[in-house]
Amino acid sequence: VIRMIAARLLGALLVAVCVATLGFFALKAAPGGPFDGERRVQPEVQRNIERAYHLDWPLWKQYAHYMAGLARGDLGHSMKGTSTVNEIIAQNFPRSLQLGLLALAFAVVAGVGLGVLAASRHNRAADHVAMSIALLGISVPSFVLGPLLITVFALRLGWLPAARWEGFASMILPAVTLGLIYMGTIARLTRSGMLETVRQDYVRTARAKGLSERRVIWKHALRLGILPVVTYLGPATAYLITGSIVIESIFQVPGLGFYFITSVTNRDYPVLCGIMVFYCLFLVLLNLLVDVAYGLLDPRIREGR
Amino acid sequence: LIVRALAAVLLVGCSVPEGEYFGRVPEPDPTHLRWCNVAEPEYLDPALAVSTADLRVLYELFDGLTTFDENASPKPSLAERWEISDDLRRFTFHLRRDARWSNGRPITSADFVYSLARVLHPLTASANAETLWRIRHGKPYSAGTARLVLADGGGFRAGEAVAVEPEAPPTNLRRARGALELVSSPGGGEVWGRVPGGSELTIVELDPTRAWAYVFFAEDDGLYGWAPLAALDAPHADRVYAVTGLDRPAKGELRGRDLLMLPELLGVRAPDPHTLVLETEGPTPFLLDLSLGRAFRPVPREAVSRHPKRWVRPGNIVTSGPFHLTFWRERDRFELARSPTFWGARSVRLERVTIYSMSEQSANVNVYFQGGCDALASNGVPPSMLPALAGKKDYTAAAYLGSYFYLLNVERLPSVHLRRALSHALDRTSLPRLLKGGQIPSVSLTPGKPIATLTDGELALCGVTRDTPGVAMIVETGKHCYVPPRGAAFDPEAARRELELARAELGARFPRVVTVRFNTGFEQHKTIAEWVQNEWKRVLGLDVELESMEWKTYLKATLAREYDAARYGVVGNFADPEAEFLPQFKCASPDNRTGFCSAELDRLMAEAADERDRGARLALTRRAEAVLLEEMPILPLFVYTQHVLTRPYVRGLHVNLADHQSLRETWIDPDWRRAGR
Repeated sequence: VIRMIAARLLGALLVAVCVATLGFFALKAAPGGPFDGERRVQPEVQRNIERAYHLDWPLWKQYAHYMAGLARGDLGHSMKGTSTVNEIIAQNFPRSLQLGLLALAFAVVAGVGLGVLAASRHNRAADHVAMSIALLGISVPSFVLGPLLITVFALRLGWLPAARWEGFASMILPAVTLGLIYMGTIARLTRSGMLETVRQDYVRTARAKGLSERRVIWKHALRLGILPVVTYLGPATAYLITGSIVIESIFQVPGLGFYFITSVTNRDYPVLCGIMVFYCLFLVLLNLLVDVAYGLLDPRIREGR
Repeated sequence: LIVRALAAVLLVGCSVPEGEYFGRVPEPDPTHLRWCNVAEPEYLDPALAVSTADLRVLYELFDGLTTFDENASPKPSLAERWEISDDLRRFTFHLRRDARWSNGRPITSADFVYSLARVLHPLTASANAETLWRIRHGKPYSAGTARLVLADGGGFRAGEAVAVEPEAPPTNLRRARGALELVSSPGGGEVWGRVPGGSELTIVELDPTRAWAYVFFAEDDGLYGWAPLAALDAPHADRVYAVTGLDRPAKGELRGRDLLMLPELLGVRAPDPHTLVLETEGPTPFLLDLSLGRAFRPVPREAVSRHPKRWVRPGNIVTSGPFHLTFWRERDRFELARSPTFWGARSVRLERVTIYSMSEQSANVNVYFQGGCDALASNGVPPSMLPALAGKKDYTAAAYLGSYFYLLNVERLPSVHLRRALSHALDRTSLPRLLKGGQIPSVSLTPGKPIATLTDGELALCGVTRDTPGVAMIVETGKHCYVPPRGAAFDPEAARRELELARAELGARFPRVVTVRFNTGFEQHKTIAEWVQNEWKRVLGLDVELESMEWKTYLKATLAREYDAARYGVVGNFADPEAEFLPQFKCASPDNRTGFCSAELDRLMAEAADERDRGARLALTRRAEAVLLEEMPILPLFVYTQHVLTRPYVRGLHVNLADHQSLRETWIDPDWRRAGR
């Protein structure tokens, strides 16, 4: 197990180097530089700016300088503003994480709830309603859903703030918007998983023992029924945490997604590469965690090792 | 699909708010203003700040010689009064004696000498350096080529200004002989940092005794401080430099030891702590307008030296303005508190200001609607919301100091008749209906207020009547008005006539297809391009292709002149066409994107630059703009409008052409309902 973890981490480092290299050269190949604007500064001034950011160096030297920093864990300095990339990540990632985890919690609780409800009322009205909600969550894109929720719950009803990240109330709408798609998928996975497990022998045994239906469903069937959900949680968590760019923009959440976008439009390679490297390592860690969790949940896998 | 349609219906159905005001008017806190800014400010350092979002915060933190009055014209601030020489080259400012930095130290003329030289210094890498090129020797100083002659020799006298070759080895480079302490003043004081022996240092200035040097150490985030000159080796002391006189045509050779780039080179003098003298290159009637800008605002040496890159952060920052920075969180907000050391603190009525950094327009409007901010700065409203705002009492739409136009590539559209035809074919009066933003149709480069909206006094000043078409710019309140000349306005007949002339002139070279380029990111550009395409087809029968490009790619393509027609815009810092709008169209401009070059325009602009009388200057500028609009390398479309939301209880937050405000006189009226409006 330890060897597997070490191999994974080593692989992650390699990928990180590739990602940083790719980001660096992609931005360098794109036309224009970080300091181009509508009004062009005089060449004398331009030269001073380029010198200050080492943009006057040959490309290989800039690359070597950047990679040397990276090796020391220094992701460099943003070409805009006063922050280093390490600071940008340290300050903004926790909010992306918070948003992602809240969305995940919502998706899991609501998704599993809907799924179990649907499975236990198989082919009855409750099943259809639950699955329609799930389908809605999957099929409505967040750039439609976000404004819709804002209009109803923030502007019309005035229950929740429309934007900004201050206090739990302000987190509800973005987390729900972000989580809905995953809620839908989780509900469907739970439902089909449950439908399959309730037909299995051990569930029948449990029923035969005279256990209450509630206990059968929640204690015995669910445990195996949500295994597909757990498998799905790995990628879902990754998407929820790293993929909230649209939501962050709609709700003005000060997360990392904003920097991801502006770093491309600004040709700010330290920020782009830094975030990519960070996400890369983060995702590898996350996958490791999921594998471990999977082992803990399924007795068959646990005993197999 | 059904869901989407439903969502659209719901959105439209729900988002039209009713009532006199937009959204809920919250109960105001009379001590606290919450201002929604339109983007994330990147820099608060006056040397580095460029965007309007930056400036909105910066101008509250850093005071200037002058500050904005309600028209955004200069009025006394750190300078109580000033004298201007008859040749408009020498400006003597008398500084107020009660001005202090937030750390308690008095603000003196020495702060200005330091700060102006800092903006110009190549090490600062300031994008605003060009603003100070009007100051004597400002340009060679920022290019890093100006040198002061320290001792007679090579045909030059000590104290003369010369220039070295741009790539010459740095004369100001020094090497620390041993480990050194960089201290807060010549002769000693607080220790700002230490540098190891052998470190490379750059001399920025010398103290009057010439025994101490203020040096820059580039390691990490950088450090400035004073060190004894005797402790520094000069690696280029014996090197011979070819030099050229800056003030007289002379050439010669000098040793590195006798040359230094020092602030004394600049036309900035501090004869006593409360007098500042600025000397300019040529007559500069708009120097007071320039003095409002960020580049002229002094910064505190003690804060900058220790943290050259991060001195503007809370904890490090030392300010001079009506407010002090107490809290900053990126992508969230700035918290400002009334500064007790500000010279006018007693008249500042707000105790707290919160400036939210919001880059998403719809989020901005939603927050305002919910009562989350007291004012929404201009350009914070998405175009789709504008119709819903019409008629609301807290909404103002006003002319903005910017023009939207199309660049016409004169190399690809080489006939002036063709370019005029393209302009004659466009009925700009349909733009406000199309774009719904109250845009002001224009056929001039220089923006301004619609003549029909001027006051009677302004009409008299401008020498026009209310029914005159076009716009006018008040350059100096009560003194100077600029009515820009008009280019080819909508006239389908003339358009077709000119097109025939162009066909005859170009023959086989007449373009088969005209390509219009625009940048992505704003829906508006696409709407306009489609309209242009349609009109050129309808009126002229031209085939037009549209091409959209990502912003930086677009900038590069237009600079390389890879387009036929392309959208562009220019926004000025202050109202002066000569300083802010025409220079871009001179032959040698780094911003020359059309390939247009007119000796006549250059001559008129050069003549204006030597003219002392501002009225005569503006007349010459007007002739230059007429040349531009005669040749039509640009096709003006409209003057930008600004859309501002301000709660009824906010007083003294002025809407003006340049969109510059100072919150020092802003206040909140809790009795606004009784007071009426």
